[in-house]
Amino acid sequence: MACVVACKRENDVPEEHYRTRVVEIVEGKFPKLRMELRPELCNHCENAPCVYNCPTGASYKRKDGIVMVDKKKCVGCKACMAACPYDARFIDPRNGAAHKCTLGEHRIIDGKDPACVTTCISGARIFGDFNDPQSPVSRILAERHVRTLIPEAGTKPTIYYIGLELLT
Amino acid sequence: MKEISIIGINEITYPHLDIWNWTIALYLYLGGMVAGLMILGAISQLRSSPITEKATDRPVSCYMAPILSPILLSIGMLFIFLDLTRKLNSFWFYLNFNIMSPMSWGAWGVGIIIPVSALWAISSLPGSYLDKLKRWKFIPYLYNKLVPYRDKLARLNCGLGIFLGIYTGVLLSSFVARPLWNSAILPILFLNSGLSTGAALLIIIAKDRMEKVFFTKADIALIATEIVIIILFYYAHLTSTSPHVESIAPFFTKGYYFPFWITVFLLGIFLPMALVLDVARVKGFSVLGLEKLRIHLSACLVLIGGLVTRLAFVYVGQLSSLSDIVKR
Ligand code: SF4
Ligand code: SF4
Repeated sequence: MACVVACKRENDVPEEHYRTRVVEIVEGKFPKLRMELRPELCNHCENAPCVYNCPTGASYKRKDGIVMVDKKKCVGCKACMAACPYDARFIDPRNGAAHKCTLGEHRIIDGKDPACVTTCISGARIFGDFNDPQSPVSRILAERHVRTLIPEAGTKPTIYYIGLELLT
Repeated sequence: MKEISIIGINEITYPHLDIWNWTIALYLYLGGMVAGLMILGAISQLRSSPITEKATDRPVSCYMAPILSPILLSIGMLFIFLDLTRKLNSFWFYLNFNIMSPMSWGAWGVGIIIPVSALWAISSLPGSYLDKLKRWKFIPYLYNKLVPYRDKLARLNCGLGIFLGIYTGVLLSSFVARPLWNSAILPILFLNSGLSTGAALLIIIAKDRMEKVFFTKADIALIATEIVIIILFYYAHLTSTSPHVESIAPFFTKGYYFPFWITVFLLGIFLPMALVLDVARVKGFSVLGLEKLRIHLSACLVLIGGLVTRLAFVYVGQLSSLSDIVKR
């Protein structure tokens, strides 16, 4: 769970709240058990319902595809939270504004990976630019079978999973 | 056997979304009721022609529905304002219009409806009220300017009432992420329920027997329609995807919401209808062999039923999700 801790530390995430989580799913009957560990975060959806449901334009999508919240414009109506099928948002109790994963935008400007990616000891999290065909994520997308979470919601997530099997 | 644990849970991630509470339910309830008042008040005003200026013997609904509309809607707005976590930023609602956001439509819609219904209310004031309000000079002034347009204002408010009633349902039904709400039937259900609660309020405040019977008859038809819409709502969910099927389960399985929902059905729908069903058989409006108490009790139950319906939908809707980790 190093990613959960690193994210909290890096992004000054308020107490008792998290931008990313790891879902642990165990299926079957002892001793025949299967387990999946699934890190979850904002999917930076292409067709983001949090953005098109936001009445003030506080939730917006940057040109590079990162979905962000402009705190100045946020009224705290929580429409974006109700609209997100992945429950990736929460209200920051310190200022009342919607809060979510920013994909480590302050780090990627400097060419670094997001903190959750850097800290992941097994390299399970991979970050990159889909527009660059040479980036590791583009290569994986081309070579491996990948899936997204809740594709039926029609949000077109940009977070992809390899080997997503259980419960989806 | 399936076991799920989540490390790094948000308050909202587990066990379920919990962001909107009774304030939103009350906003939707008052919005729906005002929609009903606007539509029924306009109909009542347009059919009680010719309208003599300052007439004091007009049906109560002709002036009380317009007067109550902006007042109740403003109270509703107050409740949604209470729910905002950054209240000082509220002006941003009006610096932006997002065509895809029902919340944006609502902010602008309600912002327009309150003044328009207030103008209609002024144009509908009876003489006795005008005399009392004389010290605010702008009221008689506006009254004289607006009276020639009263019928036009009534028509406009009727249209805005339909918008408002449907909007209270669209606000919830537009969320794909919440299967219980995500139904095209919900706005129709809320519009109908709004009309029903609007009629119930008019039954209570009407003085005239004829008027009480008229709105009671209207309410019987509306309650009957509501039963059909509710059945269709559940049928549509039952025959849809598994998240939709699971989303209605709290209403029908043992637990907190089951007795809650049965109460809505029995106390808010069947009992009020049973109490006044014989009014439907009254021919014309002059024969009123009914006790006032029965009609009033029925109307009160409809009002309570409408409120409990909104509360139930707001809370149970947040239990529903497309995500596998939220399902229990
Ligand atoms: S995961 Fe949720 S918060 Fe993130 S972009 Fe998609 S809808 Fe918005
Ligand atoms: S809470 Fe803030 S970001 Fe979310 S929809 Fe409302 S205004 Fe937009």
